[in-house]
Amino acid sequence: MDEFQLSEETVETTIGSSAYQQNRINQWTSSVVETSLNQLSKLGKPFKYIVTCIILQKNGAGLHTASSCFWDNTMDRSCTVRWENKTTYCIVCVFGLAV
Amino acid sequence: MEGADTGGNTYLIRPNYHHKFKAAVVKECIRDILREQLSGVQYDPDEVGVLSRSLADCIKDKLKDVGFDRYKLVVQVVIGEQRGEGVKMAARCFWDADTDSYAQDIFMNDSLFCVAAAFGSYFY
Repeated sequence: MDEFQLSEETVETTIGSSAYQQNRINQWTSSVVETSLNQLSKLGKPFKYIVTCIILQKNGAGLHTASSCFWDNTMDRSCTVRWENKTTYCIVCVFGLAV
Repeated sequence: MEGADTGGNTYLIRPNYHHKFKAAVVKECIRDILREQLSGVQYDPDEVGVLSRSLADCIKDKLKDVGFDRYKLVVQVVIGEQRGEGVKMAARCFWDADTDSYAQDIFMNDSLFCVAAAFGSYFY
């Protein structure tokens, strides 16, 4: 899926290989989400998009994400990208709702 | 028009005020469900997967009952262990700001934290 690759590239370019830093995390999450959304809207498809991003420090703690959707199964889709480096996990979920 | 005859889409491009996705109401629903289901629960790696999925389904079903007809719903639930790690969650949406909205709530206890977000997107 286009969206999948787009999100992956966006996370890579935004966070790259930076170590987890408490003072920059706000900026990173906003930046990942906004850049993904910009790229998705440039695709020009008749979809409404919802993009969520979770950035988590690697600490040995566990995290679970679940989503439940009430939509049109034939036209609406979601995809999730997991990315990690030595100190950080990043999970980006993209939901596309057809207009 | 054709809609009435064929029983197809009625093409309302704006919801009536009463049918709008009301963030405050939804936030209350989410808060009640999280409190009810997570009070006193400890983080258990084996069960958390099932718990988060069931929470998401529960919130979605409750929202369907509240009566947001013509709204597509997306509910996301994140449950994590409390170990002092730093977490940040952000969301952005590309939609019609007049008709679409979202609500979120957070629940924390000693062993876990839970974030639930519900997004409603109007179906024209």
